[in-house]
Amino acid sequence: MPAAKSKKQIGVRGEDLACAELERQGMQVLERNWRCRLGEIDIVAAEADATGLTLVFCEVKCRSGLGFGHPLEAITFTKMQTLRQLAAVWMREHRMKASSIRLDAIGIVLAPGQEPSLTHVRAVG
Amino acid sequence: MASACAWSVALVGLEGRIVEVEADIGSGLPRTVLVGLPDSALYQARDRCKAAVSNSEQEWPISLLTINLSPATLPKAGSHYDAAIVAAVLAAQGVFRAEELRGTVLLGELGLDGRLRPIRGILPATLAAQQAGFTRVIVPLRQAGEAKLVEGIEVFGIASITQLVAFLRDLPLPPVDPIEVLGERVGRHANRHLDLADVVGQVEAKWACEVAAAGRHHMLFHGPPGVGKTMLAERVPGLLPDLGLHDALEVSAVHSLAGFNLADELITRPPYSDPHHSASVASIVGGGQRMARPGAISCAHKGVLFLDEAPEFQPAVIDALRTPLESGVITLGRSEVHARFPARFQLILAANPCPCGQAATPAAHCRCSPTVVRRYAEKVSGPVRDRIDINQAFLPLRKAYLKKATLQRAESSAAVAERVLEARNRQRQRLAGSGWQTNGEVSGTYLRRHLPLPDGLQAVDEAVDRGRLSARGVDKVLRLAWTICDLAGRDKPGRDELAIALAMRRGELPGTVRSEVG
Repeated sequence: MPAAKSKKQIGVRGEDLACAELERQGMQVLERNWRCRLGEIDIVAAEADATGLTLVFCEVKCRSGLGFGHPLEAITFTKMQTLRQLAAVWMREHRMKASSIRLDAIGIVLAPGQEPSLTHVRAVG
Repeated sequence: MASACAWSVALVGLEGRIVEVEADIGSGLPRTVLVGLPDSALYQARDRCKAAVSNSEQEWPISLLTINLSPATLPKAGSHYDAAIVAAVLAAQGVFRAEELRGTVLLGELGLDGRLRPIRGILPATLAAQQAGFTRVIVPLRQAGEAKLVEGIEVFGIASITQLVAFLRDLPLPPVDPIEVLGERVGRHANRHLDLADVVGQVEAKWACEVAAAGRHHMLFHGPPGVGKTMLAERVPGLLPDLGLHDALEVSAVHSLAGFNLADELITRPPYSDPHHSASVASIVGGGQRMARPGAISCAHKGVLFLDEAPEFQPAVIDALRTPLESGVITLGRSEVHARFPARFQLILAANPCPCGQAATPAAHCRCSPTVVRRYAEKVSGPVRDRIDINQAFLPLRKAYLKKATLQRAESSAAVAERVLEARNRQRQRLAGSGWQTNGEVSGTYLRRHLPLPDGLQAVDEAVDRGRLSARGVDKVLRLAWTICDLAGRDKPGRDELAIALAMRRGELPGTVRSEVG
């Protein structure tokens, strides 16, 4: 039996899956794990459509089971507020302009021996 | 994304209103929002339902869940919406078809393990569902008997969420562990085992009780301690005839709302309520913050309310009885709703003449000063006294009555109840079509205009002229005279009945007949 993965490994695996999902949906991942004094943005992605460019700031939460509840339940209102502030900082630093921005949340359950289950909630904040 | 709807009932007083419980599963981070003016017990339904569903092998939606109780303006209180909330949520998730809930009212509180727990007011809620045209009602298993007392609606007793899901999917119900339920209140029936023959002496007071029982008249007992005031009052319900179907349903509904367990049968005996004199106004007339509950007067609806040691009650409590004594209903106003409860009770007050209790006893020595005696008597206010039909003075016994022969001669409750029933039948025949059943309820106008007036009304005129009888008092005397005449089996009260009625009303001791026999 393989040793249980560390929390960090689970997180990285989850973010990989989340990026794959966003790319599958036609978005382009611009940056991962961007940090500043305020905190960390898990994924920054860009989505282009007829109306212009949308920047997507995504919070990813990954858990190895449902023992402590669904990962999405751990994404709180305060976390999303912080993400909104971080988004502004990120855009200033990168001198990026977009016609709109969006905050998404992705919850992933990585139960051992099972297919990962991923839930993507758009425009939460 | 998905929504579904279930139905429950909000009780305002005895009147039930249908509440639509909508559940909508939308997109957003997992959160449960409950809207529609819930009180705190109902607001906690979110947490109760979530745990109950998770513990019943079902899933609570992992997204934004909005539960709306409509009409949104009606304040809702209590925990009995749990069953409908869970049904709406599970239907929205597609656990069973939402159409299964059509025409169905769900009632019941949930335990964290998913068990459906009993609630107050199943009977009035089921009645409301039936009247609103619903065809079936799902209730906690142990209360199915109570709900089945309502005709014209299908009743299903369900023990848990697991059973509910199976039931709505048309699958056989899984078994549940029987769990002992403690702390249950059982409906109190009138004290039938208390017999009038147990009371020694007090023949005159027993006769007063017979008259009161026959015509539903209010009484005030006054006399020294230990002469049998309480004993007699307790035996009055035993003299009353059984309740008719309509009354039984109404009385049972009030008791169901007050939290009594009806044990699967209607209350058919007149209820008896004897609150202690430390009672608050709210406990007597009914109360509660948002959802008013029936008080002692409503629990004594169609039965007897006995206030022992009446002067010891807070004066405000006794005075609160004035309106219901006249109207037979109590309307409790709260900020957003008015709750109405029936309260047509027969009042019996018992009082000592003074704090030491000896003031009216001829041979005894009362140590209370006249002011104290007066103040004590004034605690039951004039307006309340004016609403009393029979003022019955109790005198101390002159003999111990220990001889067997005397004891055997005492009349049993059954014999008296028979005469009372006969008198009631005469009243019902006379009052047929008027909407009243007993002399005690008949309005003064009807009494004076539609029924023949007794002979010898000069005595009444005289009493009014001397200021000893109020206008209401005249009606009370007429009603009493009719009851006495009904008990005697006569067609119309005469001079004698009127004289007796006047004496009973004024609390005189006619011809100072002492309560002695043998």
